[in-house]
Amino acid sequence: MKLPVCWLKDFAAIGNSSPQEIADALLSVGFEVEDIIYAGADIDKVVVGKVISCKPHTNSDHLHICMVDVQSEILQVVCGAPNVKTGDVVPCALVGAKLPGGINIKAGELRGVMSYGMLCSGKELGVDDTVIEGAEVDGLLQLPKDIPLGTDIRKVLGLDEYVLDVSVTANRPDCQSVVGLAREVAAAMKVKFTPPVNKYKTVEYDGEYMPEVKIDDELCSRYTGRLIKDVKIERSPDWMRKRLRLADIRPINNIVDITNYVLTEIGQPLHSFDVRFINKGIIVRKAFKGEKITALDGKEYSLEEDMLVIADSVKPIAIAGVMGGEYSGIMSDTTSVFLEAARFDRRSIRITSRKLGLRSDSSARYEKGVDYTSVDEGRERALYLIYKLKAGKIVDICSDAGEKRPEERVIETSAERICSLIGKDIPKQTVEKILRALDIKVESKPRSDKLVCTVPLYREDIEDFADLSEEVIRYYGYDNIKSTFLKTASCTEGGESDKDIRSGEIKELLCGFGAYEIMTYSFIPEKACDMLRLDDNDDRRNYIKLHNPLNEDTATLRTQLTHNMLSTIALNLSRGNDEVRLFELGRKYIPIKGAELPDERSTLSMGFVGKKENFYEIKAAVSAVLSYFGINANINYSAQPFMHPGISADISVNGQTIGYCGSVHPTVMENYGIGGNVFIAELDLETLLINGKSDVKYAPISKFPCVNRDLAFVVSDQYNVGDIMKTIKNACGQDLEQIQLFDIYKGEQIESGFKSVAFSLRFRSQDKTLGETEINTLINAATEKVKSVYGALLR
Amino acid sequence: MEEKIAKLTENCTAEISAADSESALYAVRVKYLGKSGLISELMKGMRELSPEMRPLMGKIVNEARGKLESLFAEKGKALHESELAARLAAEKIDITIDKAHPVGKLHPLSAVRKRLVDFFVSMGFDVMEGPEVETDYYNFEALNVPKDHPARDMQDTFFIGGNTLLRSQTSAAQIRYMENHKPPLKMISPGRVFRNDDDATHSPVFHQLEGLVVDKGITMCDLKGILESFAKHFFGQETKVRFRPSYFPFTEPSVEVDVSCAICHGKGCRICKGTGWIEILGAGIVNRKVLRTCDIDPDEYTGFAFGFGIDRIANIIHGIPHIKLLYENDIRFLKQF
Repeated sequence: MKLPVCWLKDFAAIGNSSPQEIADALLSVGFEVEDIIYAGADIDKVVVGKVISCKPHTNSDHLHICMVDVQSEILQVVCGAPNVKTGDVVPCALVGAKLPGGINIKAGELRGVMSYGMLCSGKELGVDDTVIEGAEVDGLLQLPKDIPLGTDIRKVLGLDEYVLDVSVTANRPDCQSVVGLAREVAAAMKVKFTPPVNKYKTVEYDGEYMPEVKIDDELCSRYTGRLIKDVKIERSPDWMRKRLRLADIRPINNIVDITNYVLTEIGQPLHSFDVRFINKGIIVRKAFKGEKITALDGKEYSLEEDMLVIADSVKPIAIAGVMGGEYSGIMSDTTSVFLEAARFDRRSIRITSRKLGLRSDSSARYEKGVDYTSVDEGRERALYLIYKLKAGKIVDICSDAGEKRPEERVIETSAERICSLIGKDIPKQTVEKILRALDIKVESKPRSDKLVCTVPLYREDIEDFADLSEEVIRYYGYDNIKSTFLKTASCTEGGESDKDIRSGEIKELLCGFGAYEIMTYSFIPEKACDMLRLDDNDDRRNYIKLHNPLNEDTATLRTQLTHNMLSTIALNLSRGNDEVRLFELGRKYIPIKGAELPDERSTLSMGFVGKKENFYEIKAAVSAVLSYFGINANINYSAQPFMHPGISADISVNGQTIGYCGSVHPTVMENYGIGGNVFIAELDLETLLINGKSDVKYAPISKFPCVNRDLAFVVSDQYNVGDIMKTIKNACGQDLEQIQLFDIYKGEQIESGFKSVAFSLRFRSQDKTLGETEINTLINAATEKVKSVYGALLR
Repeated sequence: MEEKIAKLTENCTAEISAADSESALYAVRVKYLGKSGLISELMKGMRELSPEMRPLMGKIVNEARGKLESLFAEKGKALHESELAARLAAEKIDITIDKAHPVGKLHPLSAVRKRLVDFFVSMGFDVMEGPEVETDYYNFEALNVPKDHPARDMQDTFFIGGNTLLRSQTSAAQIRYMENHKPPLKMISPGRVFRNDDDATHSPVFHQLEGLVVDKGITMCDLKGILESFAKHFFGQETKVRFRPSYFPFTEPSVEVDVSCAICHGKGCRICKGTGWIEILGAGIVNRKVLRTCDIDPDEYTGFAFGFGIDRIANIIHGIPHIKLLYENDIRFLKQF
């Protein structure tokens, strides 16, 4: 809400308080001032000057050399304007002046003649005819001759003004107006508030056509109208135009300006119809199916059946509260005006405005909520202004339909109750004083704590003692209450869930692997599925779509984290960060058939990039995570369409695939614009995080010595080391404490298609020292098994 | 005999001192003191002596042996030490060479979240994470924001369709918590929230932390107490806290909370836009309607709630100029924290 300080002064006796002081006062009672705007900020050191002589420049066919009286001195100025002549009173930019567009004026030579300033046109000052008449002529802005020379041009143009850009919270629609804010400012600065006084004279009703009003829908709670005759459409006075401009409203003509002025000052939207085009009465009703209206913006709108319209007997003449029809609007030849002041349901206005994509100052105001009293206040203010501006004659007839004045809300409470939410015993007298300053009537009986508060109609936000409590603390000041530390509260245990604790531990574990945690958006573009080469029937194509995405990158909710990991890798590679280990622990969103909300599953993704990386590095990190949970996972060559089929694994637990790790498919690498050594992994950890691991119980440590043996085989390439190790383990049983691969070799001395694999084995028994014979028996059993299963040769 | 011993002792002493390595010393030892060494040989000759002479000579031989043993020990120790020193010197490496074994780090948002959670848990707050895809009821209706309420304009919400949306505030978790827990209660809910807003200062995804306390006799002064200790903990002991009246549909009275700018200490700088204050959170006394919605009697219990952006706290603590940097995940950024 733009609040011009000069306008504020009409109602709050703030004297010469600075804009900053007013802003501070507003802030202290809950109205943030986002900006203090000085209307003349673009202009500096431009004054009113009089051309006392004007001679043609001897060296130019269009320049003139002028002597200009700016009161403090007489300046020589070279001027190129076609309309310059002796006796002109014009704006003169002095040396060091600032003009709109960042232009600075310096002394300079023009074709051999020094010029100490510049005479200005309206355009050069950034103003047009709506600001001052004559601003748009080709040449200097000719000012009235009676302005004292040397006057700051900002004063002449009405730009020497401050405007506060006030942020009004949604619970205070009454403060979407100069008067509403003035009441708060006055209370906050402890100065007098004077409400607007509206006195005007009417002319007797003489049987003119006055549309009768009927409300046919509860979305309109009140509709009033007045008739103005002998209207003369003209330019409104400078003071009004100036104020409208300060409030960011473009002046148009007297009648339209008055309605806009009232909208800003009182907060009541008004609409004026040319009465000639209202055919036999007004009815407020829902639009009929297929009905159309051309609004004041010149566009045709198709109305829907839930939209409220103002109609005459044959057609809609306005979209209620949003915009009037072009046909019945005010024109230069309008002589009789029907002035509407009404109250429409804010929700209805909001929906209509959204659906039509049509917003106006009026609809914006109605959406915030207009109260019962503002209908009358606004209409009366407009009539007063019409009278004051002699814009027309107010006919002594009134249309008024809808609800009668509601009762004011009465809240019976006590100072103690009000203070109970604050935590400080504020004296009853102080409470009463604060409430009264806010126009709340307070009855209190001596020797009783009880307070009976009557709330003015425009404060629809005050419903019970908690709201009064807010009013009191707002004005009492939060700086005046002392901190306490939950002095009446009970002890609570609190703590994080096991799932959160485990997630934290997994993150720490991965940091130990040299991986940095990343956080990416929950969104992915639809095309991600194609980039990852997902099959048409892949579950991950079943995603949630956003109804109103920002752009295609935020179109869907992710069903995997791999897309974002690859995108993050691509970003880092593109910036030369070619050795990175990254991980993300975030949610994916899996729609559940028939359920309102999706399954949000905690998922881990990893990305290892760089020369030194290989499949086994990322597999080690994955194994570490699985071993944190005490899980024995199975791995198989990955079936993921975006993974390299020979250098990646799918990981399954209890027959269910929970993830994958390995190298990225070359086509997918291309799709993401990445190259080099890139390994990724993804694990669905939801179930694991929730179930965790069972509590570990101690197992006795063997007291007996161990025996180490090595075994090496030559075996066909087609067999995997993991399988051979499993076979050895099974053959050796529980006395094999540990088995490790220590060498794998292909090449010289080994037939092509074969490899040599060597393991070191450690044997130890829980309950005895293993003898040579026992060890040999185990080794033989393992050797024979490997030979028979894999056709291996012992080396 | 005696002479022989003296001679052997003399020779052996000379050879011990001439030995230049542990192995040379060992050879000397074998030569004189070994099983068939010179001294042992001498002992064999004892048999030939008269019985009277034997103890006398035995004493002399043993004294000589003892003397030599200690010389061997002394020399052995000296040789061992010099050989060890030589080996250690030879084993010296260039310790300025680095072997890359980097340790990763938590994302700054995770790290800050962890600190926040630890702080509130230490005061008995429960931690709850609610769903990110929410129903209109939890995100708005139950928080006293009916359909088409102007307060909905305060937040640009991502809708999914029907009644579901991406939660625009962690306050949604308040309601879920109060449905399942009755007072006395203290909870925080950190988590991801979404707004349809994307410019230099806004990210469509960011993180909030919601706090809620409901008990008997909870007041605005208690809220001030908690938030002051929070502010001091995170922004330094000198930090001042300012409450300003504001409006949120789910609290009444509502406040906006500022902390004194940690950069300029209230003098006014770019970070605080010259005001000396940085707005960090919204809070208030839980609206009586909200308590009623959750079946908690507002005449018996009162409570306060607060909510702030974790991203904002992280940015203030670390001096991160743009929220977008948090979600870009450039490794050079991540390595800094």
